[in-house]
Amino acid sequence: MTSHLGLMALFAFFVSATFATLMRDTPREQVRFGSQLFAGFVVGGVALGWVLYVLPL
Amino acid sequence: MGGTTARVTVASPTLTSLVCVAAWAIPGAGHLWLGRWQKGVVFLVLLPLMFAIGLGLEGRLFPFEFSQPLVALAAAADLGMGLPYLVAKALSAGAGRVVAVSYEYGNAFLIVAGLLNMLVVLDAFDIAQGRK
Repeated sequence: MTSHLGLMALFAFFVSATFATLMRDTPREQVRFGSQLFAGFVVGGVALGWVLYVLPL
Repeated sequence: MGGTTARVTVASPTLTSLVCVAAWAIPGAGHLWLGRWQKGVVFLVLLPLMFAIGLGLEGRLFPFEFSQPLVALAAAADLGMGLPYLVAKALSAGAGRVVAVSYEYGNAFLIVAGLLNMLVVLDAFDIAQGRK
């Protein structure tokens, strides 16, 4: 897989799943917190990408 | 009114050390040892898989070059993975191919897998100390 978005989403999945498992105790809470983290990572990553796109670097 | 008192079990320093070494060597082993099966299995699957994907993406297992501090820090983070790192080194995997499209992603997967395992070790330490 060489899609930047796909790799970023895969990376976000691993990080959010690990953090959710560390920080919450029940599977239900873990899924809920992990989903929020995953969404935050992906949306934040795409938003940051667009911010960098318009910056003249 | 009847209050309940949680019983906190604190492992001995020796046992705590052994748990931490096991948690470092095999991701999730510390949690499995301490009876946190669900968490242990999740770490046991996720972290080595993340590490393997990093190798598959042609990331590099950085050497300890203290003349280049950032490279040495990346090497320390890679080492956090434990046995999978040592096995990959023994098999000469993780040479890294700088021109590969996925090279930087591979590095990110390898480094972060090691760092996450360090957090897992700290969590196992806290559990062994009765803090969780």
